[in-house]
Amino acid sequence: MANVSQVHDWREVRADNVALAPRISEDWLSLIIGLFVFVLALAGLGNVDLTGWVVTTAVWGNITQALGTVSKSYGALGGIGALVATYVALLVVLGGAAVALKTDVKKFALAFTAVFWLAYLSWIVGNYAHFAAVTPAELNKFGIAWSLKLTNEGGYIFALIGGLIIANVFPRFAETIREAVRPELYIKIAIVILGGVFAVTAASKLSLATSLLLRGTAAIIEAYLIYWAVVYFVARKWFGFSREWAAPLASGISICGVSAAIATGGAIRARPAIPVLVSSLVVVFAVVEVLILPFIATTFLAHEPLVAGAWMGLAVKTDGAAVAAGGITEALILAQNAAEGVKYQAGWMLGTTTTIKVFIDIFIGIWAFVLGYIWTNHINKTGDKAQASEIWQRFPKFIIGFVVTFVVGLILALATPSGLAAKVPAAIGEANTFRVIFFILTFFSIGVLSNFKRLWAEGIGKLAVVYAVSLFGFVIWVGLLISWLFFAGVKPPLAS
Amino acid sequence: MTDLREELNRDAGEPLLPIEKKLIGWSLGLGVGLLVLLVIVNHLFPVS
Repeated sequence: MANVSQVHDWREVRADNVALAPRISEDWLSLIIGLFVFVLALAGLGNVDLTGWVVTTAVWGNITQALGTVSKSYGALGGIGALVATYVALLVVLGGAAVALKTDVKKFALAFTAVFWLAYLSWIVGNYAHFAAVTPAELNKFGIAWSLKLTNEGGYIFALIGGLIIANVFPRFAETIREAVRPELYIKIAIVILGGVFAVTAASKLSLATSLLLRGTAAIIEAYLIYWAVVYFVARKWFGFSREWAAPLASGISICGVSAAIATGGAIRARPAIPVLVSSLVVVFAVVEVLILPFIATTFLAHEPLVAGAWMGLAVKTDGAAVAAGGITEALILAQNAAEGVKYQAGWMLGTTTTIKVFIDIFIGIWAFVLGYIWTNHINKTGDKAQASEIWQRFPKFIIGFVVTFVVGLILALATPSGLAAKVPAAIGEANTFRVIFFILTFFSIGVLSNFKRLWAEGIGKLAVVYAVSLFGFVIWVGLLISWLFFAGVKPPLAS
Repeated sequence: MTDLREELNRDAGEPLLPIEKKLIGWSLGLGVGLLVLLVIVNHLFPVS
Protein backbone atom coordinates (compact mmCIF):
# COMPACT_ATOMS: atom_id res chain seq x y z
CA MET A 1 0.00 0.00 0.00
CA ALA A 2 1.39 3.37 -0.98
CA ASN A 3 1.25 5.99 1.66
CA VAL A 4 3.65 8.41 3.24
CA SER A 5 3.91 6.42 6.40
CA GLN A 6 5.63 3.45 4.84
CA VAL A 7 9.14 2.61 5.85
CA HIS A 8 10.21 2.90 2.23
CA ASP A 9 9.15 6.52 2.05
CA TRP A 10 10.64 7.61 5.33
CA ARG A 11 13.86 5.68 5.36
CA GLU A 12 15.20 5.15 1.90
CA VAL A 13 14.20 7.87 -0.47
CA ARG A 14 16.07 11.15 -0.58
CA ALA A 15 14.51 14.30 -1.94
CA ASP A 16 16.99 14.58 -4.76
CA ASN A 17 17.46 10.85 -5.38
CA VAL A 18 21.23 11.38 -5.64
CA ALA A 19 21.99 8.13 -3.88
CA LEU A 20 19.34 6.07 -5.63
CA ALA A 21 19.67 7.11 -9.27
CA PRO A 22 22.96 5.78 -10.57
CA ARG A 23 22.69 7.31 -14.01
CA ILE A 24 21.26 10.76 -13.36
CA SER A 25 19.31 12.31 -10.52
CA GLU A 26 15.78 13.66 -10.67
CA ASP A 27 17.34 17.00 -9.82
CA TRP A 28 19.34 17.14 -13.04
CA LEU A 29 16.46 15.69 -15.05
CA SER A 30 14.12 18.37 -13.76
CA LEU A 31 16.64 21.02 -14.76
CA ILE A 32 17.06 19.52 -18.24
CA ILE A 33 13.34 19.07 -18.87
CA GLY A 34 12.46 22.50 -17.46
CA LEU A 35 15.06 24.22 -19.62
CA PHE A 36 13.94 22.16 -22.63
CA VAL A 37 10.35 23.41 -22.23
CA PHE A 38 11.60 26.97 -21.67
CA VAL A 39 13.79 26.94 -24.79
CA LEU A 40 11.01 25.42 -26.92
CA ALA A 41 8.65 28.17 -25.79
CA LEU A 42 11.24 30.87 -26.55
CA ALA A 43 11.20 29.78 -30.19
CA GLY A 44 8.06 31.90 -30.32
CA LEU A 45 10.34 34.96 -30.27
CA GLY A 46 11.45 33.96 -33.76
CA ASN A 47 7.81 33.51 -34.82
CA VAL A 48 8.15 29.72 -34.58
CA ASP A 49 5.42 28.47 -32.27
CA LEU A 50 6.60 25.07 -31.03
CA THR A 51 4.50 24.84 -27.88
CA GLY A 52 1.20 26.48 -28.81
CA TRP A 53 -0.52 23.10 -28.98
CA VAL A 54 -0.37 22.54 -25.23
CA VAL A 55 -3.78 22.23 -23.58
CA THR A 56 -5.21 24.95 -21.39
CA THR A 57 -8.41 24.94 -19.36
CA ALA A 58 -10.79 27.84 -18.87
CA VAL A 59 -13.40 28.20 -16.15
CA TRP A 60 -16.44 26.58 -17.73
CA GLY A 61 -20.17 26.36 -17.48
CA ASN A 62 -20.43 24.22 -20.59
CA ILE A 63 -17.93 21.35 -20.68
CA THR A 64 -17.43 21.66 -24.44
CA GLN A 65 -15.85 25.07 -23.83
CA ALA A 66 -13.47 23.94 -21.10
CA LEU A 67 -10.44 22.91 -23.14
CA GLY A 68 -8.42 24.63 -25.84
CA THR A 69 -4.93 25.16 -27.16
CA VAL A 70 -2.86 27.85 -25.52
CA SER A 71 -2.14 29.40 -28.93
CA LYS A 72 -4.78 30.24 -31.50
CA SER A 73 -2.41 29.13 -34.25
CA TYR A 74 -3.07 25.53 -33.15
CA GLY A 75 -6.79 26.13 -32.65
CA ALA A 76 -7.67 23.54 -35.29
CA LEU A 77 -6.51 20.83 -32.88
CA GLY A 78 -9.47 21.53 -30.64
CA GLY A 79 -9.57 21.00 -26.90
CA ILE A 80 -9.47 17.19 -26.94
CA GLY A 81 -6.75 17.21 -29.62
CA ALA A 82 -4.67 19.55 -27.49
CA LEU A 83 -5.14 17.33 -24.45
CA VAL A 84 -4.06 14.22 -26.39
CA ALA A 85 -1.08 16.06 -27.92
CA THR A 86 -0.03 17.25 -24.46
CA TYR A 87 -0.32 13.72 -23.07
CA VAL A 88 1.75 12.21 -25.89
CA ALA A 89 4.45 14.89 -25.62
CA LEU A 90 4.76 14.49 -21.86
CA LEU A 91 4.75 10.71 -22.17
CA VAL A 92 7.68 10.86 -24.59
CA VAL A 93 9.70 13.37 -22.55
CA LEU A 94 9.03 11.79 -19.16
CA GLY A 95 9.47 8.31 -20.67
CA GLY A 96 12.97 9.45 -21.59
CA ALA A 97 13.43 10.52 -17.99
CA ALA A 98 12.25 7.09 -16.86
CA VAL A 99 14.95 5.49 -19.03
CA ALA A 100 17.55 7.75 -17.47
CA LEU A 101 16.29 6.80 -14.01
CA LYS A 102 16.57 3.12 -14.96
CA THR A 103 12.92 2.41 -14.26
CA ASP A 104 10.72 0.00 -16.19
CA VAL A 105 9.62 2.17 -19.12
CA LYS A 106 6.57 0.08 -20.03
CA LYS A 107 5.38 0.14 -16.45
CA PHE A 108 6.06 3.87 -16.26
CA ALA A 109 4.14 4.55 -19.49
CA LEU A 110 1.06 2.71 -18.22
CA ALA A 111 1.27 4.38 -14.85
CA PHE A 112 1.81 7.84 -16.33
CA THR A 113 -1.18 7.36 -18.61
CA ALA A 114 -3.38 6.83 -15.58
CA VAL A 115 -1.77 9.65 -13.61
CA PHE A 116 -2.06 12.17 -16.43
CA TRP A 117 -5.68 11.51 -17.36
CA LEU A 118 -6.97 11.23 -13.82
CA ALA A 119 -5.07 14.34 -12.73
CA TYR A 120 -6.22 16.41 -15.67
CA LEU A 121 -9.78 15.22 -15.28
CA SER A 122 -9.68 16.42 -11.68
CA TRP A 123 -8.33 19.78 -12.89
CA ILE A 124 -11.17 20.13 -15.40
CA VAL A 125 -13.72 19.42 -12.68
CA GLY A 126 -12.04 22.06 -10.50
CA ASN A 127 -12.52 24.62 -13.25
CA TYR A 128 -16.31 24.20 -13.22
CA ALA A 129 -17.90 27.62 -12.77
CA HIS A 130 -19.72 26.67 -9.58
CA PHE A 131 -16.33 25.86 -8.06
CA ALA A 132 -14.01 28.38 -9.73
CA ALA A 133 -15.89 31.57 -10.63
CA VAL A 134 -14.90 34.36 -8.26
CA THR A 135 -16.14 37.80 -9.26
CA PRO A 136 -19.76 38.92 -9.69
CA ALA A 137 -18.91 39.51 -13.37
CA GLU A 138 -17.92 35.86 -13.72
CA LEU A 139 -21.07 34.69 -11.97
CA ASN A 140 -23.08 36.81 -14.41
CA LYS A 141 -21.08 35.48 -17.34
CA PHE A 142 -21.95 31.90 -16.48
CA GLY A 143 -25.48 32.73 -15.36
CA ILE A 144 -25.01 31.22 -11.91
CA ALA A 145 -26.06 32.52 -8.51
CA TRP A 146 -23.38 30.93 -6.35
CA SER A 147 -19.84 29.62 -6.50
CA LEU A 148 -17.35 28.21 -4.04
CA LYS A 149 -15.00 30.94 -5.38
CA LEU A 150 -11.98 28.67 -5.33
CA THR A 151 -10.60 30.30 -8.52
CA ASN A 152 -9.35 28.15 -11.38
CA GLU A 153 -6.29 27.34 -9.26
CA GLY A 154 -8.67 25.63 -6.86
CA GLY A 155 -8.39 22.89 -9.51
CA TYR A 156 -5.18 21.91 -7.74
CA ILE A 157 -7.30 20.99 -4.74
CA PHE A 158 -9.40 18.76 -6.94
CA ALA A 159 -6.29 17.07 -8.31
CA LEU A 160 -5.11 16.56 -4.76
CA ILE A 161 -8.49 15.16 -3.74
CA GLY A 162 -8.49 12.88 -6.80
CA GLY A 163 -5.16 11.48 -5.67
CA LEU A 164 -6.36 11.16 -2.10
CA ILE A 165 -9.41 9.20 -3.20
CA ILE A 166 -7.17 6.78 -5.07
CA ALA A 167 -4.79 6.43 -2.13
CA ASN A 168 -7.56 5.87 0.38
CA VAL A 169 -10.25 4.05 -1.58
CA PHE A 170 -8.19 2.19 -4.18
CA PRO A 171 -4.85 1.53 -2.47
CA ARG A 172 -3.96 -1.35 -4.81
CA PHE A 173 -4.44 0.90 -7.81
CA ALA A 174 -2.31 3.54 -6.09
CA GLU A 175 0.46 0.97 -5.81
CA THR A 176 0.05 0.04 -9.49
CA ILE A 177 0.62 3.60 -10.71
CA ARG A 178 3.37 4.37 -8.21
CA GLU A 179 6.03 4.35 -10.95
CA ALA A 180 4.67 7.67 -12.28
CA VAL A 181 3.83 9.20 -8.92
CA ARG A 182 6.83 11.52 -8.73
CA PRO A 183 5.89 14.82 -7.10
CA GLU A 184 9.51 15.88 -6.66
CA LEU A 185 10.32 15.53 -10.35
CA TYR A 186 7.16 17.32 -11.45
CA ILE A 187 7.45 20.24 -9.03
CA LYS A 188 11.13 20.81 -9.76
CA ILE A 189 10.42 20.98 -13.50
CA ALA A 190 7.65 23.47 -12.71
CA ILE A 191 9.99 25.57 -10.59
CA VAL A 192 12.59 25.74 -13.37
CA ILE A 193 9.89 27.02 -15.74
CA LEU A 194 8.60 29.35 -13.03
CA GLY A 195 11.87 31.30 -13.09
CA GLY A 196 11.04 32.63 -16.56
CA VAL A 197 7.43 33.29 -15.64
CA PHE A 198 8.43 35.34 -12.61
CA ALA A 199 10.88 37.33 -14.73
CA VAL A 200 8.14 38.35 -17.13
CA THR A 201 5.78 39.20 -14.28
CA ALA A 202 8.42 41.35 -12.61
CA ALA A 203 9.30 43.07 -15.87
CA SER A 204 5.68 43.75 -16.79
CA LYS A 205 5.06 45.32 -13.38
CA LEU A 206 8.32 47.25 -13.38
CA SER A 207 6.83 50.76 -13.25
CA LEU A 208 4.60 49.76 -10.35
CA ALA A 209 7.37 47.68 -8.86
CA THR A 210 9.68 50.69 -8.93
CA SER A 211 7.37 52.82 -6.79
CA LEU A 212 6.65 49.89 -4.51
CA LEU A 213 10.25 48.68 -4.34
CA LEU A 214 10.77 49.77 -0.76
CA ARG A 215 7.60 48.05 0.34
CA GLY A 216 8.46 44.92 -1.61
CA THR A 217 11.79 44.82 0.16
CA ALA A 218 9.96 44.99 3.48
CA ALA A 219 7.91 41.97 2.41
CA ILE A 220 11.04 39.99 1.58
CA ILE A 221 12.58 40.86 4.92
CA GLU A 222 9.39 39.94 6.72
CA ALA A 223 8.85 36.60 4.97
CA TYR A 224 12.41 35.33 4.96
CA LEU A 225 14.06 36.85 7.99
CA ILE A 226 11.23 37.30 10.50
CA TYR A 227 8.48 34.81 9.63
CA TRP A 228 10.87 31.99 8.84
CA ALA A 229 12.99 32.40 11.94
CA VAL A 230 9.99 32.59 14.28
CA VAL A 231 8.11 29.67 12.71
CA TYR A 232 11.26 27.53 12.65
CA PHE A 233 11.85 28.33 16.31
CA VAL A 234 8.21 27.58 17.22
CA ALA A 235 8.26 24.28 15.32
CA ARG A 236 11.58 23.18 16.81
CA LYS A 237 11.30 24.47 20.36
CA TRP A 238 7.60 24.44 21.19
CA PHE A 239 6.43 21.50 19.09
CA GLY A 240 9.60 19.44 19.10
CA PHE A 241 9.85 18.93 15.33
CA SER A 242 13.10 17.65 13.90
CA ARG A 243 15.16 19.91 11.64
CA GLU A 244 14.09 17.91 8.61
CA TRP A 245 10.44 18.71 9.34
CA ALA A 246 10.83 22.20 10.77
CA ALA A 247 12.67 23.77 7.82
CA PRO A 248 10.16 22.88 5.04
CA LEU A 249 7.33 23.68 7.45
CA ALA A 250 8.80 27.12 8.22
CA SER A 251 9.28 27.83 4.51
CA GLY A 252 5.77 26.65 3.66
CA ILE A 253 4.15 28.88 6.27
CA SER A 254 6.45 31.84 5.83
CA ILE A 255 7.31 32.24 2.20
CA CYS A 256 5.41 31.01 -0.77
CA GLY A 257 3.75 27.83 0.30
CA VAL A 258 4.24 24.83 -1.92
CA SER A 259 7.22 26.00 -3.98
CA ALA A 260 9.12 27.18 -0.91
CA ALA A 261 8.41 24.02 1.08
CA ILE A 262 9.58 21.79 -1.74
CA ALA A 263 12.57 23.96 -2.64
CA THR A 264 13.63 23.93 1.01
CA GLY A 265 13.01 20.19 1.27
CA GLY A 266 15.30 19.64 -1.71
CA ALA A 267 17.90 22.06 -0.43
CA ILE A 268 18.25 20.46 2.99
CA ARG A 269 17.94 16.96 1.53
CA ALA A 270 14.71 16.14 3.33
CA ARG A 271 12.92 12.97 2.29
CA PRO A 272 10.29 13.73 -0.36
CA ALA A 273 7.28 12.83 1.76
CA ILE A 274 8.04 15.68 4.16
CA PRO A 275 7.72 18.74 1.85
CA VAL A 276 4.92 16.93 0.05
CA LEU A 277 2.96 16.60 3.26
CA VAL A 278 3.70 20.20 4.23
CA SER A 279 2.54 21.26 0.75
CA SER A 280 -0.81 19.58 1.19
CA LEU A 281 -1.33 21.54 4.41
CA VAL A 282 -0.25 24.77 2.70
CA VAL A 283 -2.89 24.32 0.03
CA VAL A 284 -5.67 23.53 2.47
CA PHE A 285 -4.84 26.53 4.66
CA ALA A 286 -4.43 28.81 1.61
CA VAL A 287 -7.96 27.96 0.50
CA VAL A 288 -9.25 28.73 4.00
CA GLU A 289 -7.42 32.07 3.89
CA VAL A 290 -8.87 32.95 0.48
CA LEU A 291 -12.35 32.31 1.77
CA ILE A 292 -11.93 34.35 4.98
CA LEU A 293 -9.32 37.12 4.74
CA PRO A 294 -10.82 39.22 1.89
CA PHE A 295 -14.00 39.62 3.91
CA ILE A 296 -12.08 40.58 7.07
CA ALA A 297 -10.06 43.08 4.98
CA THR A 298 -13.24 44.56 3.53
CA THR A 299 -14.77 44.93 6.97
CA PHE A 300 -11.81 46.62 8.64
CA LEU A 301 -9.64 48.05 5.84
CA ALA A 302 -12.10 49.42 3.29
CA HIS A 303 -10.63 52.90 3.78
CA GLU A 304 -7.04 51.68 3.49
CA PRO A 305 -7.21 49.83 0.17
CA LEU A 306 -3.48 49.36 -0.37
CA VAL A 307 -2.99 48.09 3.16
CA ALA A 308 -5.62 45.46 2.33
CA GLY A 309 -3.92 44.59 -0.99
CA ALA A 310 -0.49 44.30 0.61
CA TRP A 311 -1.91 42.20 3.43
CA MET A 312 -3.23 39.62 0.99
CA GLY A 313 0.21 39.36 -0.60
CA LEU A 314 1.90 38.90 2.77
CA ALA A 315 -0.63 36.66 4.50
CA VAL A 316 -2.00 34.29 1.86
CA LYS A 317 0.34 31.49 0.84
CA THR A 318 0.77 30.17 -2.72
CA ASP A 319 0.76 32.57 -5.66
CA GLY A 320 -2.62 31.60 -7.04
CA ALA A 321 -4.42 31.91 -3.73
CA ALA A 322 -2.73 35.24 -2.89
CA VAL A 323 -3.55 36.85 -6.21
CA ALA A 324 -7.09 35.46 -6.06
CA ALA A 325 -7.48 36.94 -2.56
CA GLY A 326 -6.14 40.28 -3.85
CA GLY A 327 -8.68 40.23 -6.69
CA ILE A 328 -11.58 39.41 -4.40
CA THR A 329 -10.48 42.04 -1.87
CA GLU A 330 -10.22 44.66 -4.59
CA ALA A 331 -13.69 43.87 -5.93
CA LEU A 332 -15.25 43.99 -2.46
CA ILE A 333 -13.48 47.18 -1.32
CA LEU A 334 -14.07 49.06 -4.57
CA ALA A 335 -17.76 48.22 -4.32
CA GLN A 336 -17.97 49.35 -0.69
CA ASN A 337 -16.20 52.65 -1.38
CA ALA A 338 -18.33 53.26 -4.47
CA ALA A 339 -21.42 52.82 -2.30
CA GLU A 340 -20.02 55.61 -0.09
CA GLY A 341 -19.41 57.82 -3.10
CA VAL A 342 -15.65 57.26 -3.44
CA LYS A 343 -14.66 55.67 -6.71
CA TYR A 344 -11.08 54.41 -6.86
CA GLN A 345 -9.30 53.28 -10.01
CA ALA A 346 -9.29 49.51 -10.32
CA GLY A 347 -6.09 47.52 -10.41
CA TRP A 348 -4.05 49.18 -7.67
CA MET A 349 -4.88 46.76 -4.87
CA LEU A 350 -4.40 43.72 -7.04
CA GLY A 351 -1.19 45.26 -8.40
CA THR A 352 0.09 45.71 -4.85
CA THR A 353 -0.75 42.10 -3.93
CA THR A 354 0.91 40.76 -7.06
CA THR A 355 4.03 42.90 -6.74
CA ILE A 356 4.60 41.86 -3.15
CA LYS A 357 4.07 38.20 -4.01
CA VAL A 358 6.48 38.40 -6.94
CA PHE A 359 9.13 40.05 -4.81
CA ILE A 360 8.84 37.29 -2.24
CA ASP A 361 8.87 34.57 -4.92
CA ILE A 362 12.03 35.82 -6.54
CA PHE A 363 14.07 34.96 -3.47
CA ILE A 364 12.90 31.37 -3.01
CA GLY A 365 15.93 30.07 -4.87
CA ILE A 366 18.34 32.25 -2.94
CA TRP A 367 16.84 31.27 0.40
CA ALA A 368 16.99 27.60 -0.58
CA PHE A 369 20.64 28.11 -1.43
CA VAL A 370 21.33 29.74 1.96
CA LEU A 371 19.62 26.89 3.80
CA GLY A 372 21.29 24.30 1.58
CA TYR A 373 24.67 25.83 2.37
CA ILE A 374 24.05 25.85 6.13
CA TRP A 375 22.66 22.32 6.18
CA THR A 376 25.35 20.75 4.02
CA ASN A 377 28.16 22.68 5.65
CA HIS A 378 27.15 22.64 9.29
CA ILE A 379 24.30 20.24 10.02
CA ASN A 380 24.29 17.15 7.78
CA LYS A 381 28.03 16.74 7.54
CA THR A 382 29.25 13.33 6.48
CA GLY A 383 32.59 12.40 7.98
CA ASP A 384 34.68 14.86 9.88
CA LYS A 385 34.65 17.58 7.30
CA ALA A 386 32.46 18.18 4.29
CA GLN A 387 34.27 18.18 0.98
CA ALA A 388 33.62 20.86 -1.58
CA SER A 389 32.52 18.19 -4.05
CA GLU A 390 30.00 16.92 -1.54
CA ILE A 391 28.51 20.37 -1.18
CA TRP A 392 28.13 20.49 -4.94
CA GLN A 393 26.64 16.99 -5.00
CA ARG A 394 24.06 18.09 -2.45
CA PHE A 395 23.34 21.38 -4.08
CA PRO A 396 19.78 21.36 -5.49
CA LYS A 397 20.48 21.62 -9.21
CA PHE A 398 16.98 22.65 -10.20
CA ILE A 399 17.68 26.00 -8.54
CA ILE A 400 20.28 26.62 -11.25
CA GLY A 401 17.52 26.14 -13.81
CA PHE A 402 15.29 28.55 -11.89
CA VAL A 403 18.01 31.22 -11.87
CA VAL A 404 18.86 30.67 -15.56
CA THR A 405 15.27 30.99 -16.75
CA PHE A 406 14.71 34.02 -14.50
CA VAL A 407 17.81 35.86 -15.74
CA VAL A 408 17.17 35.00 -19.39
CA GLY A 409 13.51 35.97 -19.09
CA LEU A 410 14.36 39.29 -17.45
CA ILE A 411 17.03 40.11 -20.05
CA LEU A 412 14.66 39.28 -22.88
CA ALA A 413 11.82 41.30 -21.37
CA LEU A 414 13.87 44.36 -20.50
CA ALA A 415 17.00 44.51 -22.61
CA THR A 416 15.86 43.56 -26.09
CA PRO A 417 14.31 45.74 -28.82
CA SER A 418 10.69 46.53 -28.00
CA GLY A 419 9.40 44.41 -30.89
CA LEU A 420 11.14 41.34 -29.50
CA ALA A 421 10.39 42.15 -25.85
CA ALA A 422 6.70 42.40 -26.64
CA LYS A 423 6.70 38.75 -27.71
CA VAL A 424 8.31 37.52 -24.49
CA PRO A 425 5.16 37.36 -22.29
CA ALA A 426 3.30 35.27 -24.87
CA ALA A 427 6.24 32.90 -25.41
CA ILE A 428 6.87 32.38 -21.70
CA GLY A 429 3.12 32.22 -21.16
CA GLU A 430 3.14 29.01 -23.21
CA ALA A 431 5.89 27.63 -20.99
CA ASN A 432 3.77 28.64 -18.02
CA THR A 433 0.97 26.41 -19.29
CA PHE A 434 3.35 23.48 -18.93
CA ARG A 435 4.17 24.75 -15.44
CA VAL A 436 0.48 24.55 -14.57
CA ILE A 437 0.31 20.97 -15.88
CA PHE A 438 3.34 19.93 -13.84
CA PHE A 439 1.71 21.52 -10.80
CA ILE A 440 -1.43 19.46 -11.48
CA LEU A 441 0.65 16.28 -11.74
CA THR A 442 2.41 17.24 -8.52
CA PHE A 443 -0.78 17.75 -6.56
CA PHE A 444 -2.30 14.55 -7.87
CA SER A 445 0.88 12.68 -6.98
CA ILE A 446 0.85 14.20 -3.53
CA GLY A 447 -2.65 12.84 -3.06
CA VAL A 448 -1.73 9.37 -4.29
CA LEU A 449 1.20 9.25 -1.87
CA SER A 450 -0.97 10.24 1.08
CA ASN A 451 -3.27 7.91 2.89
CA PHE A 452 -4.83 10.96 4.47
CA LYS A 453 -7.31 9.15 6.64
CA ARG A 454 -4.55 7.12 8.13
CA LEU A 455 -2.19 10.09 8.37
CA TRP A 456 -4.76 12.05 10.34
CA ALA A 457 -5.27 9.14 12.68
CA GLU A 458 -1.53 8.77 13.06
CA GLY A 459 -0.63 12.35 13.86
CA ILE A 460 -0.90 14.86 11.02
CA GLY A 461 -2.95 16.88 13.51
CA LYS A 462 0.30 17.97 15.12
CA LEU A 463 1.49 19.43 11.82
CA ALA A 464 -1.84 21.15 11.30
CA VAL A 465 -1.72 22.64 14.80
CA VAL A 466 1.75 24.14 14.36
CA TYR A 467 0.66 25.46 10.97
CA ALA A 468 -2.53 26.99 12.39
CA VAL A 469 -0.77 28.47 15.42
CA SER A 470 1.93 30.06 13.27
CA LEU A 471 -0.38 31.27 10.51
CA PHE A 472 -3.32 32.57 12.49
CA GLY A 473 -1.39 33.47 15.63
CA PHE A 474 1.55 35.25 14.04
CA VAL A 475 2.00 35.40 10.25
CA ILE A 476 -1.34 37.02 9.42
CA TRP A 477 -1.13 39.72 12.10
CA VAL A 478 2.51 40.63 11.58
CA GLY A 479 1.67 40.85 7.87
CA LEU A 480 -1.12 43.27 8.73
CA LEU A 481 1.19 45.36 10.91
CA ILE A 482 3.87 45.60 8.22
CA SER A 483 1.27 46.40 5.55
CA TRP A 484 -0.07 49.16 7.77
CA LEU A 485 3.39 50.59 8.46
CA PHE A 486 4.22 50.88 4.77
CA PHE A 487 0.89 51.47 3.05
CA ALA A 488 -1.36 53.32 5.53
CA GLY A 489 -2.53 56.60 4.04
CA VAL A 490 -1.48 55.63 0.51
CA LYS A 491 -4.63 55.71 -1.59
CA PRO A 492 -5.20 54.56 -5.14
CA PRO A 493 -5.96 57.39 -7.57
CA LEU A 494 -9.62 58.26 -8.01
CA ALA A 495 -11.32 57.09 -11.18
CA SER A 496 -11.88 59.94 -13.58
CA MET B 1 6.24 0.08 9.51
CA THR B 2 6.73 3.61 10.79
CA ASP B 3 3.62 5.74 11.06
CA LEU B 4 3.53 9.51 10.87
CA ARG B 5 3.17 10.04 14.62
CA GLU B 6 6.24 7.91 15.21
CA GLU B 7 7.99 9.70 12.39
CA LEU B 8 7.21 13.14 13.85
CA ASN B 9 8.34 12.03 17.26
CA ARG B 10 11.36 10.13 15.99
CA ASP B 11 13.78 13.01 16.38
CA ALA B 12 11.55 15.05 18.66
CA GLY B 13 13.43 17.12 21.15
CA GLU B 14 16.69 17.06 19.23
CA PRO B 15 18.41 20.14 20.66
CA LEU B 16 18.90 23.34 18.74
CA LEU B 17 22.44 23.36 17.42
CA PRO B 18 24.52 26.51 17.79
CA ILE B 19 24.27 27.03 14.03
CA GLU B 20 20.48 26.92 14.22
CA LYS B 21 20.44 29.40 17.08
CA LYS B 22 22.76 31.59 15.05
CA LEU B 23 20.48 31.31 12.00
CA ILE B 24 17.39 32.24 14.03
CA GLY B 25 19.12 35.05 15.92
CA TRP B 26 20.77 36.60 12.89
CA SER B 27 17.61 36.33 10.81
CA LEU B 28 15.49 38.03 13.44
CA GLY B 29 18.08 40.65 14.30
CA LEU B 30 18.77 41.48 10.69
CA GLY B 31 15.08 41.40 9.83
CA VAL B 32 13.97 43.73 12.62
CA GLY B 33 16.92 46.07 12.02
CA LEU B 34 16.26 46.32 8.30
CA LEU B 35 12.55 46.84 8.89
CA VAL B 36 13.23 49.74 11.23
CA LEU B 37 15.58 51.20 8.62
CA LEU B 38 12.95 50.83 5.91
CA VAL B 39 10.28 52.43 8.08
CA ILE B 40 12.57 55.44 8.54
CA VAL B 41 13.30 55.60 4.81
CA ASN B 42 9.58 55.26 4.14
CA HIS B 43 8.93 58.30 6.33
CA LEU B 44 11.71 60.30 4.71
CA PHE B 45 10.58 59.43 1.18
CA PRO B 46 6.81 58.92 1.33
CA VAL B 47 4.86 57.72 -1.69
CA SER B 48 3.88 60.72 -3.75
